[in-house]
Amino acid sequence: MGIERVETGDAELVRRIRAGDIGAYGVLVARYRDRLGRYAVHMIGDREDAEEALQDSFVRAYRSLDRCNDPARFGAWLYGILVNRCRTTGARAARRRRLFVQDAEALNGASHADAMERLEWTDAVERALARLAPEYREAFLLKHVEDLEYEEIAELTGDGISALKMRVKRAREQLQKFLREAEHV
Amino acid sequence: MFEQDDDIVERMIRQLRRPVSIDPGLDARVMGEIAAAAQPGKRRTWPWLAAAAAVLAVVVVTRPWTLDPGTSRADAFQFVLVAPQAASVSLVGDFNDWDPARSPMHTAHGVWATVVPLAPGRYRYAFLVNGVEWRADPAAPNAIDDEFGTPSSVVTVAGRGS
Repeated sequence: MGIERVETGDAELVRRIRAGDIGAYGVLVARYRDRLGRYAVHMIGDREDAEEALQDSFVRAYRSLDRCNDPARFGAWLYGILVNRCRTTGARAARRRRLFVQDAEALNGASHADAMERLEWTDAVERALARLAPEYREAFLLKHVEDLEYEEIAELTGDGISALKMRVKRAREQLQKFLREAEHV
Repeated sequence: MFEQDDDIVERMIRQLRRPVSIDPGLDARVMGEIAAAAQPGKRRTWPWLAAAAAVLAVVVVTRPWTLDPGTSRADAFQFVLVAPQAASVSLVGDFNDWDPARSPMHTAHGVWATVVPLAPGRYRYAFLVNGVEWRADPAAPNAIDDEFGTPSSVVTVAGRGS
């Protein structure tokens, strides 16, 4: 307890947590919250469900920390837990509510027409993403939004690299189609 | 036509890569849940922790990108106070003009938390419990130059590389 040094590595934090320092886990939560939160929000499509999935993943990871075989790669291990949790949530929630991520800062200073255009684009993006099959959306987000390598995605999901490449390719094709359709509405 | 189609997906990717704001209270909820487990993989009950530490506070430093990208020199500090009986807790200090409204803490199972960006420097701070009770951080040094006579603590943030 007390005041932690800046930039403590994941492996050192995991070692402290295993030694009983609960506070060290707060550093890991703050470190990974926003990035993993972005994936959960886009994957699930509902902010409340996404935050629930994220919270549950952090708690599961803590309770399973003894099974994290490579503490230096805690982030990748945590990602895997969240990906699985999002699969469960996605199946249950079936995207019952649509997501609107309003970028208030981006709209500040924009004219009404510009603001409307941006909101329509944001809406089109979310609608297009929601229309993808979950396995396509998952692969697309992990590859292009979270910027993971196919090898990393395969490790997280347990799927083969060739299958993942196919899903990403088809996701891109379908998104092109959905976004073009939205342009002509 | 193909390039245009590809451009529209790239534009979508740029949109999706923007940061998504997550409820800052999530940290407190997570820490509250795990406070029930004293050891990874070994679940224990909340009363154990409450009995062991009626008040327990910790300040941890996280990466600067978690907060306020406009102040690149600021690191994000998470303040956590375990106060199961409290109805409200605010963090007050030199960094927020001792204004309780600026750093309210979020709770889950009696664990209160909030995150503030702090640039290198020395800061006095305290927790304001239930709007009336000042508490110093028992895990940090007491501030010895508090001119108001209320308990407070001090944290010194070192610059990077120092």
